[in-house]
Amino acid sequence: MRRGVWIGIMILMLAVGGAGMALAADVRGVTDTEITIGQWGPQTGPAALWGAVARGTDLYFKMINEEGGINGRKIKYVLRDDGYNPAKTKAIAKEFVENIGVFAVVGGVGTGPGMAVRDYLTENKVPWVGPSTGSSHFTRPTNPYIFGVYPLYKDEAYLLTKYAYENKGKKIAFFYQNDDYGKEGLEGAEIALKELGGALVAKVSVEVPDTDLSSHALKLKESGADVVIMWLLPKHAAIILGESAKLGYKPQWISSNTLSDAPVMMNITKGLWAGVITSMFGDLPNEDTPLMKKYREAHQKMAASERWGSFYYAGIIWAEPLVESLKMAGKDVTTEKVLTSLETMNKWRGIGPPLTYTKDEHQGAKSVKISQVLENGDVKPLSDWLQITK
Amino acid sequence: MLSQLIVGGLAIGSCYALISLAMVIIYKTSEVLNFSQGEMAMLATFVSFYLLADKGLPFWLAAILTLAFALLLGVVVEIVFLRTAKNPNVLGLIVITLGLEMILYGVAGWRWGPDQQAMPFPIGNTEIYTVGSVTFSRISLWVFSLALGLMAALGLFFKYTRLGVAMKATQQNHLAARIMGIRTKRILSFTWALSSLVGTVAGMLIASSYPLDVNMMMDPMMKAFAGGVLGGMVSLPGAAVGALSIGVIENLFGGYVSLEFKSVVAFAIIVLVLCVRPSGLFARHYVKKV
Repeated sequence: MRRGVWIGIMILMLAVGGAGMALAADVRGVTDTEITIGQWGPQTGPAALWGAVARGTDLYFKMINEEGGINGRKIKYVLRDDGYNPAKTKAIAKEFVENIGVFAVVGGVGTGPGMAVRDYLTENKVPWVGPSTGSSHFTRPTNPYIFGVYPLYKDEAYLLTKYAYENKGKKIAFFYQNDDYGKEGLEGAEIALKELGGALVAKVSVEVPDTDLSSHALKLKESGADVVIMWLLPKHAAIILGESAKLGYKPQWISSNTLSDAPVMMNITKGLWAGVITSMFGDLPNEDTPLMKKYREAHQKMAASERWGSFYYAGIIWAEPLVESLKMAGKDVTTEKVLTSLETMNKWRGIGPPLTYTKDEHQGAKSVKISQVLENGDVKPLSDWLQITK
Repeated sequence: MLSQLIVGGLAIGSCYALISLAMVIIYKTSEVLNFSQGEMAMLATFVSFYLLADKGLPFWLAAILTLAFALLLGVVVEIVFLRTAKNPNVLGLIVITLGLEMILYGVAGWRWGPDQQAMPFPIGNTEIYTVGSVTFSRISLWVFSLALGLMAALGLFFKYTRLGVAMKATQQNHLAARIMGIRTKRILSFTWALSSLVGTVAGMLIASSYPLDVNMMMDPMMKAFAGGVLGGMVSLPGAAVGALSIGVIENLFGGYVSLEFKSVVAFAIIVLVLCVRPSGLFARHYVKKV
């Protein structure tokens, strides 16, 4: 009997103590010592090449934690593999909100997976910084909880096409994946050419499961284009370069930043990738800015087995503004404070594009850099940040 | 443009034809559609990639070792997965090959990861010859002649060797063949080995021009299947001609009608053939007398 009373008292004390703690941390995912941040990313499956993004974020958070964290709190990072399967992404988002309790999510590769959880995360008021896609579905119209760090495909294609028209040739063809991803690129290219008084000489599309692209290559060759702009999967880019080489067709190839990981592309194209112009959503991997140097050192120290490529450090780019806003929000961090801090950013820069957010405009990035792949797989800059002026 | 489309179609069609032959070899013997054909070839192609890229072997040696592996894989698959099936009926065995397809896919994914790789190949795709308005690449010519050579060799094998004749006998009448002293179980293992070998040659030829990854064989295998259906699944020349035609038809369709629906053509052909002439163009309709 007496033992029962003691146990009762202990339970009561625990309950009271628990309630006290809950009062101190009534912000989901924030305790006195930790802030929990989640990300999904394809570690397996067809898009696993892009899985490096979420691991890059891991490196960045480890680095922040080693420097002492943010206002005394360490970042607790939860990475989940969704295999690029939207159904799995949905389950992960639910786990993040209902079981783990994350303060915010960052990155998250893919338009499809992202679309599957966009509304759910918004309903649950989870801040989401840097969806890892240039699709317009995340920041158009403005969503109060989502902040875009990735330049939109449409804007990127606009800038690339303009660059190509002014510097590489007036006869431009567009070769794209026949879905939202490719079509948003196509739209941007068409707008740019219309403004410049030209038009595409050919629009050729490819379906995701296609393997044999010899007739696609022939169509491009027959169009007589001097420049071909690509909005593709890495696999298709490699095949179309190979098939065009077989036809003796050598235009200036230009690609979206989705294929900006030059060493990967050099490998799978057996060197045909040399000379290709791509846009970049961040500083070049070998650039000598102080931040880039610092990240490269951290990479050498903590994750040397990872390849230092644009997909990997994209994970850093998406997370930088979130960390900055957490710093600005101060010791008593709340969701509202983080959102308003983000909205004060004006031309803020880490290693990504300059970011400007306002209450009504959450697509922070409107610029890309243009670079060219060299014979040895390095990239050289062709431009500084180019910004759309629309 | 027309001749160029045909040349391109024949180059890829010859790869489809090899896979199609590999499927027909097994189908003829046991009426089993081997859905793991593509994945068996993919796994073996990864083995050759391992030998070439990781072990640095010369190409000819790696090719021989890979083909040996392919033979062994065929035998192992037949003995471990199909022979052990209890009360086997055709449908059950087909389901086994579907399961096997997933297992092989998983194994390759686990061992080599999902990244695309470049398979080292002695011929690059920048060497080209131009005749009139048509451009030939050295690599496509090689692919085409190797495939054609292997098809011819298979034809001769079935016609003139004892083993080939024994295989044919087993295909035509299992029981009679056994009574005549043919060890039909062994023949069945050999059938799988031969099929695996032919499929692997296709896999290696495909990997010479396309990035190597675990999904590499999915699209070619479906096209090869369409080719087999078009030619009639029990005729070797039929399957070869059917698959070559698929390559050409697809390319012409892509060139003149619509690139968007290029890949769908093959499937439309499967449905059309099964509706109109289910035995295929080259096989005589076979009626079982009771």
